[in-house]
Order: sequence, then structure tokens, then C-alpha cells
Amino acid sequence: MKVNPHRFKEFIVIAVVVAVLAVLPVLGLPRTWLLYIFLFFIYLALANMWNLLSGYCGLISLCQPAFIGLGGYTLVIFTWNGLPLYMGILGGAIVAAIFTMLISSAVFRLRGIYFAIGTLVVPEALRVVFFIWRPVGEQIHGKGAGYMIKGLNDVSMTHIYWLAIFIGIVSIVIMRLTLSSKMGMGLAAIRDNDSAASSSGINIFKLKLFAFVISAFITAIAGSIFYMFQGYIAPESGFSMKWTMTMILATVIGGISTEEGPIIGTVIIVFLHFLLARYAGISLIIQGILLIIIMLLAPQGIMGFARKTKIYQSLLRLTAGDSI
Amino acid sequence: MAETTILSIVDVTKRFGGLFAVNDLSLDIHEGEAVGLMGPNGAGKTTLISVISGQYKPEIGAVIFQGHDISGLPPHRICRLGIARTYQIPHPFINLTTRQNIAVAAMYGKGIGKTAAAAEADKILDIVELTDKKDVRAKDLEALTLKRLELARALATDPKLLLIDEVAAGLTEVEIPNFLNILKRIRSMNITYIMIEHVLKVMLEAVDRVTVIDYGIKIAEGTPQEVMEDEKVIKAYLG
Ligand SMILES: Nc1ncnc2c1ncn2[C@@H]1O[C@H](COP(=O)(O)OP(=O)(O)OP(=O)(O)O)[C@@H](O)[C@H]1O
Ligand SMILES: [Mg+2]
Repeated sequence: MKVNPHRFKEFIVIAVVVAVLAVLPVLGLPRTWLLYIFLFFIYLALANMWNLLSGYCGLISLCQPAFIGLGGYTLVIFTWNGLPLYMGILGGAIVAAIFTMLISSAVFRLRGIYFAIGTLVVPEALRVVFFIWRPVGEQIHGKGAGYMIKGLNDVSMTHIYWLAIFIGIVSIVIMRLTLSSKMGMGLAAIRDNDSAASSSGINIFKLKLFAFVISAFITAIAGSIFYMFQGYIAPESGFSMKWTMTMILATVIGGISTEEGPIIGTVIIVFLHFLLARYAGISLIIQGILLIIIMLLAPQGIMGFARKTKIYQSLLRLTAGDSI
Repeated sequence: MAETTILSIVDVTKRFGGLFAVNDLSLDIHEGEAVGLMGPNGAGKTTLISVISGQYKPEIGAVIFQGHDISGLPPHRICRLGIARTYQIPHPFINLTTRQNIAVAAMYGKGIGKTAAAAEADKILDIVELTDKKDVRAKDLEALTLKRLELARALATDPKLLLIDEVAAGLTEVEIPNFLNILKRIRSMNITYIMIEHVLKVMLEAVDRVTVIDYGIKIAEGTPQEVMEDEKVIKAYLG
């Protein structure tokens, strides 16, 4: 395999940044700062996985919270049965992946906006299920009360923080690998012309399902790590639409269908959360207004806008070169 | 010479609402043959191709390819079995370059990896004489080049049977010999083809026999010359 020198430089930069961020807790950075970095990497994983579906497969998925909640609840069920945390995280990812396969034959029949609406009801349905059903522990009155996640005693916050960095970076790597692979080419073909794609031998259903499964798997892991940090999960938060809002905002602000978009967008979203932390009530409104402004001024997001500028174009010319 | 039948269309009917686009049509294609498909506008030629390649399922009848009933199989399966088609209105992957368009078809149509597909794409670019356009995005190609790209994408899937839907339409007198050369190359690759064409010169030179359909029904069959003199054909064309 040939090594692209620009890719290598990029790799070094990312490695250094990650290393610095990883040692911050050891250096005694204030906890609120660590919280925002933690959120950045969780949101980054979520936004990347939403971008994979919406930006690259034309699947405007509004059911991502289903995977987050399933991840969190599987973690609960595992840890309440005395199983290790890591097994719980992996279990949640597998449950989310299997769940995706189960709903795919129904939701893939829907196209465009109908797919969006069809997927919107999924987390809502699961929220109700987990409101009524207590999978482990005793039945208590006032159903729907959430769960503590057990087995967290000997896990430090630093440890969970590192897990978040890990899943954020993994999501970037997955995007890179997927998009530059045969699968990425197939998805690009489907987006451009699905009938020509299928008469060229591309199994559209299979390729989209594969992307959906990857997205669910990683989203569930990010969700589990988030709830390890919280220590507690309830149906209203686990399956909440707010998750969807966050990933859409980050992706669209940064630039949908671009690899860098979710990274830039997530930085902005986390910074906004920081600025608006004391105004939780209007935070979503302000983010919504920002979204509208971005869509009016730069419909392709910040990256789409940047790509049109001369500097970026010349950078691109420098770094291009290893694809077909 | 014993001829093997590569494709049998058996009593196929395909309707759109009350309209019989293909009406109880039967046709056998032998291996190595080049067959022309003619008929006035709206005769059902494109619909027949779409039935063979799996975009439409025949309501009645069957399509038998190399002894297997393929009617109702999805397009990608039929492609992998060895039937490729072009589209009358080009269907390019607009954001991909010419070379990528061909490579992606090779990857999935032949089931090969990226590197092998890139090499395959270069071969096909040569065959259809598009090498000079290889790095141009399809959205920036002109109409005639897009038609050749259709042919290239279909060829990249390594077909045994190629269905060509009016690729020569719009070619000037000067460009036709060049297109005929490309067809010759395709024939020398042992690819059987069915070609829909209105350009008579191409029909006369590039096919062994012609089937003429009108209102979805076969109205004549024979060598290009025979068919051109057939009264029913003349009447169908003159309306
Ligand atoms: N998707 C469709 N829905 C409804 N009617 C259709 C559809 N496709 C084709 N038709 C109709 O079926 C008939 C056959 O159309 P087809 O495109 O197969 O004709 P054709 O022989 O390829 O004509 P042309 O020479 O104009 O390309 C026409 O009357 C057409 O209007
Ligand atoms: Mg037609």
C-alpha cells in the first residue's frame, strides 16, 4: 500500500491532538472543561453516524435515539445481571444492529421524507415499551422510573472520558474507510442514480442495510458511554428527540455529505452548549435559529461554503490524488 | 452449426394500466448473434429491454436466460448473471468521473475489488474511446459522450448479453463509422447483443437480423434488407 504524505501529516496532527486531549484529566483540567470535551466526542460519533446515513445514503434517519436508548438499556440489563461493563457496551451495539435488521425491511420500503417519518416513530415506540417494561429488578410503582447503571464503582471518570475519545475517533476512521472503499463508491452511485446502480449489479437494499447497521452499532456504543458517564438512564432521555436535533444540527451546520462537516459542526454545537448552559430553556430555540441562518446563507454548511473558496480549492489540489 | 439459445422471451406481456406496452411477445436470441429491435415511437422496445433486465416484471410469460427463468429477479441479480443494459436517456453517476462510473460498474457487476476495477475501467475506456475524458465528471460531459458512457458502464459488468437502447441516435454521418467500430470490438469480445436503433445505416451494418414490433406485437422478422421492404413495417412507420 502506498502512503500518501498528506494523509500521513493529517494522521500525525490528529494523533497529537488526541494525545493532548487524552492527558488533560491527568493534568487536572477543571471538570466542566472535561465534560465539554467528553460531549464533543460523543456528539461527534453520533453526528458522523447520522451523516453516513443522511449525507451518503440518502436515508434521513430520525431513529438514531432508538440505538442510543437500546445501547443504554442493554448496558443496564447486562450490568444488573453482574456481567462486565464492556460486555454490556458490546451487547448494546449488537442489539442495536439486530434491531436495525428487523426494522429495515419495513422502513426501507419508504423513500425520502416518508423514510424520515417512518423512522421518527421508532424511538417513540421504544420509549413507551421501556416506560412500561421493567426488564430487570423489581417492579416498582410509578413505572418508567429509570435505572442506575451498576458496576461503575471501579471505573473512573477519566476512564469514561477516554472511552468517549476512542468512539469519536473510531467514528472518523469508519467514515474514512467506508467512503474510500468499494462500498463508498457503491453508495455514491446509488445516490446519483439508483436505477443505473442496480442495473450495474449493485444490491441497493444490502448496501443501505450495511450502512444502517454500522450506524446503529457505533451510535449505540456512543450512547452507552454517555450513560456510563451519567450513571443513570430513563426512557425519556434515552429515546429522546433531542439526540436527533443535536446530530442534525452538528451535521448540517458543519456541512452534510462532507467528512469534515460533522467535526466542525460538533465543535460549534458544543461551544453553543457551553455559551447557553445557563439558558437551557431557550438553547434549542437559538440553535434552531442558527440552523435556519446557516441553511439560508450556506445550504451546504460551513464545509460546503469553504469548498467554494479559493484557499480550500488549492489545498484540495495539494492533497488529492489516491482515489480512482 | 448447432446454435445455442442464450435468451428466450416466451409470451411476455407487460402493461401500464390498460396499455399493452409489450403484448404476448416471443423472441429467441442465439449465442453470438446481433439482433436489431425496431418499431415506431412507443412501440414497446424500451419496455421489452426493461423486462429482460429486471426493471419490470412480466405480468405474463417468462424470460429464460441460459436455461434459467430470470423473470422477476431484481436488476442487480440479472446483471450479475450476465445481462447488461444501456438507457435510452443516459443514466450516469453525475458526481463521479467517467473512469469512476465505469469502475463502480466493474466492481459490482463483476464482483471485483477497487484496484482490479480501476484496471478494468482503463480497458473499457480504450474500447469505447473515452480515455481522453476519463477524469471528467459525468455532469460535465456532453450528450453524445454520455451515450458512450452508457455503453462503457454496461460493458464493465462483463456481460454475455448486452441490451443497447438507441446509443447511435444523434450521431452525425461522420461519427457513425467510429461507432460501428466500437460495435465490432464488442462483437469480437463474444458478447451477444440486442440493439434498438433508428439509424438505418447502423442497423444494416451491425446486426444479423431484425425484429420489428408495433403496439407491443411482433410484426416482422428477417434480415435488415428483408424487413425494410416488408409492407407491414413500411405501414407501421408511415403511420
Ligand atoms: N413507466 C411507464 N408508465 C406508463 N406508461 C409507460 C411507461 N413506460 C412506457 N410507457 C408507455 O408504453 C409504451 C411503450 O413505451 P416504450 O418506451 O417501451 O416505447 P419505445 O418503443 O421504446 O419508444 P421510443 O422509440 O420512443 O423510445 C408507450 O405508449 C409509453 O407511453
Ligand atoms: Mg425507447
